[in-house]
Amino acid sequence: MMDKDKLRKADIFSGGVIFLAGAFIVSQAFKMPMKDSWGGVQNVWYVSPAIFPLFVGAIIMLLGGLLVRTALKEVGIKTLINVGSFLLSSDFIRFLKLEKNLRFYAIITVLLSFVYLFIPRVDFFLSAIEFLLVFICIFHLEENTLLTKLFLFYSAQILIFILFLISGLEAYFSSYISYPGDWMVLIFILTFAVFAIRLCKGNDRLKKKFRTSLIVAVAAPVIVGVAFKYLLLVPMPFEGIVVELMDFIWYF
Amino acid sequence: MMFFQRIGSFFDIVSGLATDPATLVILFGSVLLGIIFGAMPGLTSTLGIALLTALTYSMDTPIAMVCLLAIYVGGTYGGSYSSILLNIPGTAAAAATAMDGYPLACRGEGGRAIGLTTTSSAIGTIVSMLFVVSISPVISMFALQFTSFEFFLLAFFGILISGTLTSPDLVIKGWIAGFLGLFLACIGRDQLQFYPRFTYGIPDLESGIEVVPVLIGAFGIPQIIGVLKDKFHIGKAQKLQRIIPEFGTVLKNIPAIIRSALIGVGIGAVPGIGEDIAGWVSYGTAKNTSKHPETFGKGELKGVIASETANNACVGGAMIPLLNLGIPGSPPAAMLLGALMLHGVTPGPMITFEHPTFILEVAAILLLASIAMWITGMVLAKQVVKVLRIPTQIFMPVIGMLCIIGSYSLGLNIFNLYLMLPVGIISYFLIEMGYPIAPLVIGVILGPMADENVRRALMVSQGSFMPIFQRPVSLILFLIIVWTIASQLPWYKKLTVRLKQSLIRKK
Repeated sequence: MMDKDKLRKADIFSGGVIFLAGAFIVSQAFKMPMKDSWGGVQNVWYVSPAIFPLFVGAIIMLLGGLLVRTALKEVGIKTLINVGSFLLSSDFIRFLKLEKNLRFYAIITVLLSFVYLFIPRVDFFLSAIEFLLVFICIFHLEENTLLTKLFLFYSAQILIFILFLISGLEAYFSSYISYPGDWMVLIFILTFAVFAIRLCKGNDRLKKKFRTSLIVAVAAPVIVGVAFKYLLLVPMPFEGIVVELMDFIWYF
Repeated sequence: MMFFQRIGSFFDIVSGLATDPATLVILFGSVLLGIIFGAMPGLTSTLGIALLTALTYSMDTPIAMVCLLAIYVGGTYGGSYSSILLNIPGTAAAAATAMDGYPLACRGEGGRAIGLTTTSSAIGTIVSMLFVVSISPVISMFALQFTSFEFFLLAFFGILISGTLTSPDLVIKGWIAGFLGLFLACIGRDQLQFYPRFTYGIPDLESGIEVVPVLIGAFGIPQIIGVLKDKFHIGKAQKLQRIIPEFGTVLKNIPAIIRSALIGVGIGAVPGIGEDIAGWVSYGTAKNTSKHPETFGKGELKGVIASETANNACVGGAMIPLLNLGIPGSPPAAMLLGALMLHGVTPGPMITFEHPTFILEVAAILLLASIAMWITGMVLAKQVVKVLRIPTQIFMPVIGMLCIIGSYSLGLNIFNLYLMLPVGIISYFLIEMGYPIAPLVIGVILGPMADENVRRALMVSQGSFMPIFQRPVSLILFLIIVWTIASQLPWYKKLTVRLKQSLIRKK
């Protein structure tokens, strides 16, 4: 959590957003049937589906407004101007480049890409190995320069994959090979591993950490995946080349 | 006669569970997993329950309950390991334990402290189990008299009190979090007229937001982001010596253990208030009532015992409103409620009719889990401590993967993942800005209950709010709600200060 002074400044903005969210809820609730007929039933206000969202939205608006008022009372309106000038200054750019913020971008990028990009389109085992390898390497190798390089490398991979999907290459390749996305991610895993090995060159401590990362990145999805797929009989979100291979082995 | 029948049924259930080898394996395995989750800084029993909910989805309800309650009990206790040996609370519940636990470990008494916390945690859980068995029928009978207005007010009170007591910054933020949770609960078709609210034509939103992915997102993702972003490092653990506690010391501290257990049960029974508050209140009480308060914070065994007994007693306390009113007493209990609903068990006043032995089963599992926790703690403490060597940078991504596959597997729906992640990221920002997450989660859970009951009540009263003032329970709840809100207003605070001053002057 932030310190008190920063919290109050943030409260002005979060309170404002919450006030607007409350106003949005109320505006949407007004579109719901209040006294009109719905599903052949004539409504009365007290059984309307709008009544509860109206109550919740109004209170959220009220509380958001109160929060802004409390924060402004404590830090003064001048703070708003100071924050505005900070956002427009070069200090803000420097703030965005702070190591802890870089780490934050890396975490969010890895999570978002795994959930929205890879899981729905790529074999679970491969996407999970890619996710863990990148995630563990970025943070376990623990050097700021490595973090930036590995993060940029992974970002490039994401970009390539998006291009691969939107350019129609995936559809083109799928007429020649099955699961082209899986092969693509397999290449990503291998290239990322090679890139990380090159970065660790000449440093035994880093090499050891990379080995651990690789082992965990491969072992964890295999253990978890096998437990869910074959013991709990949960189908994977996307079943591709690895699941087909494992099905063949398991049911042989 | 009824009482003896209940005692008989209780022991039947205990012996049934204790003689089934498969149940025992699951019990000990889950307790051990819970201890590991609790001991690892960054992992919590709530997260443990969230992840196991996915694994236990296909199991029978009693076995799933063994698994989930055992991880809850083990996780609450496990936090003491890293508190004592590293000075880093494994869970928020064990924060107060670090105050005296770590100085004890530095003096070479870490093993003694862990031995005593293991025993006092087990006693705390057993005392709370006794309350679950004895108080539940009374509350259930009482709750059967409740009408829709009472249920609406109860849900509203749960959100308000949880927001008031869990907010790390301004109380208003706790209330905002609670109401945001209530808004999330509005999404989907309403329960009375099936009108689609806030669905915007998205079919996956028609049936409403799934509770468990929201819980996993709200508790798991902020934890992962927070730990990895802030370069969290686990220090070198203090060495562990003899663990078996001296029973003389335990006996000497029995009054303190009982008092702490009662505090834990009481705090656990308040909706939404977790084990952390129980630990601190009990620690504070032990310090204030001690003849030597100056020794607290310097390695006082009573301090460690007080916080650890209370946080484990909170487990049973949290079960009381959960089972009888359908209102979770703590964040892990909220998670447990989600799991119970998945298994087709809806806690509330009707539970004694729909599942007559369920409360006794929960009590029996709590008893067995506390015994399993004691045995596991005594036998495996030295081995469990070794997991503290695993770097957080390795296990946090694995937890991330488990959160994701867990959210998906509950409904085999990728939309759950699309929902879980944004909820997690928003929760992270809310936590950073001083908003508590427990009220948000409680809001999501209690939202349908509040919505349905307020409309049903108004339907019966033809739109009149007068029944609130005509029914004693409603009136009491209404007055408590008004007092909870008023007590946070500046004029009320000024008024109470003036009243206190005038009373002192008169004396």
